[in-house]
This record gives sequence, C-alpha cells and structure tokens, in this order.
Amino acid sequence: MKKLVIIVLSLLILVGSFTFAGGKQEKATTGQVTVKFWGWRAQDEAVWKKVQAALQAQGKNIVIDYSTIKPTEYDSKLSLSLQGGTGPDLFLTRRLPGKRTQGLIDAGYIQALDGIVDFSHFTPTTLGFIQSGGKTWGVPFANQIVGIFYNKDIFDKYGLTEPATWGELLDICKKLKSNGVTPFMVPGKSAWALAMQHAMVGVSFPGEEWIGKVIRGETNFMDPKFIELNRMLNDLKVYYQKDFMANDTTDMSAGFAMGQAAMVFYGIWGGTRWKELNPDFHYGYFPVPPKTAKEKPHVYVYMDGSYGLNKASKNKEAAIEILKFTATPEYGKIFSETTGEMTALKDAELPKDNPILLEGYKYANTIASKYIYWVGSPFQKGNPTVYEILREGMQAMYLDKITPEELAKRVQDGISSWYKPLQK
Amino acid sequence: MVAAKSIYKRYSFLWMLVPALAIYTMLIAYPFVSSLALSFFKWPGIGPKEYVGLANYKNVLTGYMSREFYRALGHNVIFFILSWLTGIIPGLIFALFLSAGIWGTNFFKTLFFIPNTLSIVIVGFLWSLLLNPQWGFINQALKIVGLGVLAKPWLGDTTLALPTIILVNAWRSMGFFILTFLAGIVGIDREMFEAARIDGANEWQIITKIIVPQLIPIIGTLTILKVIWSFNVFDIVFAMEGTQAGPAGSTDVLGTLFYRIAFGGLGSSDVGMGLGATVVTLIFLIVFPISIIYVYLVEKRTKAG
Repeated sequence: MKKLVIIVLSLLILVGSFTFAGGKQEKATTGQVTVKFWGWRAQDEAVWKKVQAALQAQGKNIVIDYSTIKPTEYDSKLSLSLQGGTGPDLFLTRRLPGKRTQGLIDAGYIQALDGIVDFSHFTPTTLGFIQSGGKTWGVPFANQIVGIFYNKDIFDKYGLTEPATWGELLDICKKLKSNGVTPFMVPGKSAWALAMQHAMVGVSFPGEEWIGKVIRGETNFMDPKFIELNRMLNDLKVYYQKDFMANDTTDMSAGFAMGQAAMVFYGIWGGTRWKELNPDFHYGYFPVPPKTAKEKPHVYVYMDGSYGLNKASKNKEAAIEILKFTATPEYGKIFSETTGEMTALKDAELPKDNPILLEGYKYANTIASKYIYWVGSPFQKGNPTVYEILREGMQAMYLDKITPEELAKRVQDGISSWYKPLQK
Repeated sequence: MVAAKSIYKRYSFLWMLVPALAIYTMLIAYPFVSSLALSFFKWPGIGPKEYVGLANYKNVLTGYMSREFYRALGHNVIFFILSWLTGIIPGLIFALFLSAGIWGTNFFKTLFFIPNTLSIVIVGFLWSLLLNPQWGFINQALKIVGLGVLAKPWLGDTTLALPTIILVNAWRSMGFFILTFLAGIVGIDREMFEAARIDGANEWQIITKIIVPQLIPIIGTLTILKVIWSFNVFDIVFAMEGTQAGPAGSTDVLGTLFYRIAFGGLGSSDVGMGLGATVVTLIFLIVFPISIIYVYLVEKRTKAG
C-alpha cells in the first residue's frame, strides 16, 4: 500500500512538472511564432535570417527555424515526418513532374496555395513546374541554368573567345592542350553531373526541336543524331583532366577555382563555391554551342523547386505570411543577392555586381530550350527514368565499357519499356 | 488453489523475461516482421500501400531489377573473398610477429588498432582524399619514388574501385583481427611450445603444427563474421563512392542497392519501400543461416572452454 502511494505521488509530481513546464514555455513565447522549415539547401540559411528580419520589421513576430537535411536523405525523412504528424510547417519540394512531390500531393500532405498566395510575379512556365490537377502546390524559389563556365584569365592569356560552334570549342580545347592547360575539369565520379552534362549539350545538339520530336514519338533515341551526340561527348574526353573518372564535383570546383582547368560543364549555383575557394577568380559563362553556325544554341533552364505548406501545420497563419513574402520581388532580390542564383520571380531587382547572374537571366529569357529530356521532362515520370539510365550509362561510355550506340540503345530500351509514344 | 499458486511460483521467472522480450520485440522482431510484410506491397513511402503478392520478388530475382541485384550480390561475394584474404591472413601473420615478443609490441598493437576506433565515414573521407588522382598522397608518393606508372585513378576505375575499397576496409579492421588472434595465441598452453622445442621443432614448425591448428576455431568464427559483415556492407562503399556506388555500378553491393531503391538517390524520381524491403529480406535469407552457424560455433566453443 505504501509503495502504491509513493508511485501515485511520483506520477502526480511528474505530470505536474510537465504541465508547469508547458505553461512556462507558452508564457515565454507569447506573441512569437516559430515556424519549422526543412530544406536540402544549406546555402539558404542566410536567406531565412534576412527574411525573418524583414518580416519582423513589418511587425510580424515570426521566427524561422530552418534545418538543412542531406539531399539524398531529404525526401524519405520528409515523407516519414509528415506521415508521423511531426513534419515541418514549411518545406522545400522538388519540381513536378516527379513522383516525390506528386506522392505528397496525392497523400494530402501539401496544401494548394491558389487564392492564398499572389502568384502574379511568376511566369506561367515557372509555375507550370509546380502545378498539377489545376492547382499550385508551392512557391517556386529558383530557376537554374546550366552550361559551360570558363576561366576568364586563362581565356584572355591565350586570346580565346566564347565559341559559336562545337568545332570552335574543339579548337579552343586543342589550343589549351597544346599549351599544357587542361581544357575541361569533369567530375566523372559524380554520375549525376555526367547526366546533366549530356542533357545540357543535347539542347543545343540535336537541339530543342529534335527533343520535341522524341517526346511526341516522331523519332526515338536510336536516331543517328542522338548517337552522334553520344559520340561527340565521348570524343571530347581526351580534353578532360587525367583520371577524371576518379574526381567528384568537390574536386571539380576546387580544380576549376584554382585554375587547374579552363572550363567546366556545370550549373550557375557553382559560382558561390568557386568564389569562396578563390575570391579573385574571374569566370564567364556561355551556352553549349551547336554543331554548326546554322543552328542556334539553347540553354537548359529548369525550375529548381518550391516552398510547400504542410496541410496539417499548427502554425499555418505564420507559415502563410512567410510564403506570401517569398512571392514578392523583395524576396527575389534577397534570394539572388544572397545565393547568387536566379530567383524564380520574374520582376525582382537583380544584383548589378553579378554579371554571370545577369547573363543567365538574359539567356533564360531568350534561348531557353522549349523541350528537355532531363529533370522536369516526361522521361522522368516512369521507371527507369532517363536520368537514372544516363548516370550509369555515361560513366560506362566514358570508361569504354559501352559504345555511343550502346548508350543510345540503353536509353531507348529503358524509356520505351514504359513511355508509350516510343513503343511504336 | 495451492496447485495454482505453486505453478505461478514455478513459472514466475517468466516475468523477468518480459522487459528483455519487450525491448527485443520492439527493436528487432517488429521492424523485421513489418519489413517482411512490406516486401509484399508496392509503396513509395507515402500514401496507401498496394498489395502485389510476390511481384517484388519476381522483379528483383528475374525481372527488371535482376541485373542490378545479381551484380550487387556478385560484388558482395567478391567483397567477402577479398576481405578474407586481406583481413584474416595478414591479421594472423601480424599477430604471429607480435606474439613473438619483439621490440615495441604494445606500440604496434595500439598502432594497428587505432584505425578501428575511427568511424567508417571518417575513414572513407580520409582515404578518398589520400586516393585523389591529382593531389592525393598515394599517387604523389608513387610519383616521387619513381613509380608514377603505378599511380592510378583508384576510385574511378571499374576494375580497381572495389578492391581499393576492400583494402581500405581491411586497413580499418586489421587491429580487430590482430587482437583476436593474439588473444587466441596467448590462450595456447605454453608447455606445448616448450615440449615441441625439446623435441627439436623450429619456429616454423611450431607455427604450422601447433599455433595455426589451435587457431582454427577462431579462424572459423572470424570467417563467418566476415561473411555476415560482407553481405551487410554499406557504410564504407557509401562513404567512398556514394549511393550510386560507381563508377558505372562497379562497387554496388546489396546494401547500396537497397538504399537506392528504398530511399532514392540524389535526383531520383522514384522510391520503392516495398521493393527495398524485398532486397532486405533477401539479404536476411543469405545472412540468417550463416548467423545460426556462427552462434552454434560460439556456443560449442564456450561449452568446450
């Protein structure tokens, strides 16, 4: 009996202390709302500090608790937390079409934002990457542009200019190599970057119209033009750094920023890292040139992702305030200035001291490819995706395990196994 | 009433098992059973599960996943064979040297064991730096001593990448094998060595006729442990080659294959928890019988001891 009394008393004290602690916390945070925000982008932490300050300056007492999760683990952690009811109020979502974001939409974890957020500062193309079923499921944050980045000092030293054709690019490579300079630094170990390289060359040759034909099923990946593209890439590897298949993107950034190679195939987001590694680094950008002067170059531009709202958020009002702010040109300016990336907002003021960003905007608005076959394309909707096939396929081709023809066959066989227009 | 009380008393020890059983059920049995159940469903990790029967097993064993599955399984087998050769044999040789009481034995014991105290992620990161083809220490050192021809893209070559990872793994686990063999050697009756010496046996004969036969049970146990570790390997491959286990899948093992299927890699458009659970179940079916043999051998040795 005595024991029972002690146990009951202990439990009462325990419960009482929790209640007291809860009450104390409530009192301490009166008027202030903390919004939990998850993302895979570590570079955004500074952005959210600035957003928090801007909101607080407007008299909104909101604290943004932003956490970065490793990109490879992000999606599974997010979906598990949303299912368990412990998910963040706001979170980064991948672009559509894609099964990850669509899965969250179908399961009812994301709230549609039509009528809540003013989307008038976005182009329909940008919004299209986060719309499905006639609804908008997030606020787009960035458009990414990929292409060839080059070391301006090396180009100036050897009197080189941006090439207009693939042939001119090869001439640049020959001249650099004959002078003992490595023309390209390529991260062969980072398979995803090789798939990206393939796709960014593909929009200029065979080009956007050809990609449109493949999407419609009017030709397929066994087309001689696609095989030729594979061969062009494979032939270019003589101009890559020695043993490039053992280098990843970290090595590539270090080597490029330190002047060990003249060019890289990469995305505009790389600039922040290059400048961190070498503040005196001068670099430029040009779209991958087409095969002949008769064709026009195109750039691969894609919407990177968006900010989604947890339908079950307990801090919805504050979370919506943040989302509304991220749809304003003021936010676009903060984002571009802080990250050096292209904001998804069409009318944001651009940082004048970032010529690459201004150039990226110019290209994105003038020569962005209408059709693509990498992320954001119809070839990502089934299994295997074109991305998955190209990742391993490009490594295999660069290692001479398969020929350019065999790479084309892998893509054709893989995609036609589920993509109806290519099953003819 | 008295009989019931007596039965209750006799089996009251069962209550003592409840805490351990509850923890075991919660942490081992439940996740395993739920994973097994999941292997019969199609589930992207969110939303409703769709029952597909044995379709996942068909896809993995004979369908569109079979090429990757058997390639990964083959790499696990290679991992076992090479890690046995590079772990157990050198471990035994070093242990024999250290047991001879040469100068600095304790220093070398510590030196060999230090890598074992490092986390695999750190080991993977350190060796990735050392093996960098342009500015890594290994290739630079080879060039300096005039062996530049041997400088290779260690982690970027389909033939070299897996053996390189296995060697790094052997470097890390060497201390464990040495200490285990040393413990075995110390346990051998010293009188046997003295008797052998009186009979005119030399050191080589003592090693081959006394020490090694006495260490056979330990070699057996370590071999079984190696099988279990080799079929469960994930971390060192992940740390050195990422989830893609490149180049061109040449280091892909069942662990990385499972990770890619279940959680998806960077930019992957699909995740399949059911298919991933199928791979896990198949790994379990390989490892479980071997684990039973291991437990049996350990029990037998304990009883014999």
